[in-house]
Amino acid sequence: MPSGRLRRPVPTKTSQLLYPAKRQLPMSPPSQSESLLIGRIRGGDEGAWSELIARYEGRLLAYVESRVGNPAAAEDVVQETFIGFLTSLPNYDRRRKLESYLFSIAAHKLTDHLRREGRRPKLPLKPEGASSSGGWEPPAQARRASSIVRSGERRAIERAALESALSAEIGRFRKRGQWEKLKCVELLFVRGWANKEVAQKLGISEQAVANCKFEFLARLRAAVRKQRLPEEVFPELYEESS
Amino acid sequence: MPPLTHKPRIPNPHASLLASMSHPIRQSDLNGYLDEALAPEEMARVELALRRDPELLKRVEAIHARRNSGMYSLGEIWRQARLSCPSREQLGSYLLGVLPDELADYVAFHVELVGCRFCRANLADLENQQAEAAESAEGRRRKYFQSSAGYLGRGR
Repeated sequence: MPSGRLRRPVPTKTSQLLYPAKRQLPMSPPSQSESLLIGRIRGGDEGAWSELIARYEGRLLAYVESRVGNPAAAEDVVQETFIGFLTSLPNYDRRRKLESYLFSIAAHKLTDHLRREGRRPKLPLKPEGASSSGGWEPPAQARRASSIVRSGERRAIERAALESALSAEIGRFRKRGQWEKLKCVELLFVRGWANKEVAQKLGISEQAVANCKFEFLARLRAAVRKQRLPEEVFPELYEESS
Repeated sequence: MPPLTHKPRIPNPHASLLASMSHPIRQSDLNGYLDEALAPEEMARVELALRRDPELLKRVEAIHARRNSGMYSLGEIWRQARLSCPSREQLGSYLLGVLPDELADYVAFHVELVGCRFCRANLADLENQQAEAAESAEGRRRKYFQSSAGYLGRGR
């Protein structure tokens, strides 16, 4: 049985060259109480485990129930989620917020349940005739980056950098009370709306939306450059406005 | 400190669907579908579309392959990390009607129009906590504990 302690990745020569030693920013630091609770659960503390169940089962059940009509089946999925959490605990990344982690396990268990019910399509591990890269070809701008061998560790570093930059920008909007700008970029990037749709919904001009998008992407690019990451790995930051 | 005068709006659960219905399924909808992150009514809409349109299924498979290569879009990273979700405390304050107006307006936007499934689940749970009898919750929690406690300590 693997130890519950996480092993730190050993930096390779390549990663040291491209990503000089820099503190990797935490994703979203969990609270101290969460860290303590996890520690107690790792130690086999039944009281702590009972506390975690009480704290999170309601929201997990609400999440699953919204898709599963049968309350008993929804409870079964939540039950599987808690078991899944315990069995995955040795691999749990402490930097990740507990609620988000539990929701992601619940999403997987829910997906499995819905596939068994025939509501969700089964996806092949690899599309037919796929290459070793998984059969997916990146858009032209990213092909140069994709030709570089990018290890899982490097991808994790890149993703953490982008997440950190996004988080900083969103925090900036909130702190300054720039709620319209936050709504604008959330509709553009999370919901994938076109500029015109966002403008109509928010009651602002298309030019204002375009300016907001431009400024947002420019700040993200600057943040990524500060992390000394190659620009090519984030092609979306360089797409022209639509 | 701004006056705390807003009346909590019960989020319209169909706002995000109504906003999406006039448009074909977007790439971001498929991303959210794969993550079980869309509002339930939108998940149902995408599921129905996937049954009818084989090309749409190919697009989902392509997203799946892209993710296997470690590539995620800005929107996917944002949603998966829940970067703009209000805290549970803020959601609770929203229900109590004690959030500042601008923040309350943003919460309603995030829950209704963005259709954040996770925030909706938290809101539903907070509302249920007031309504539900303590005994039924305790019975359910006891079941979860009894079925999982055997796995405790295996992670040491």
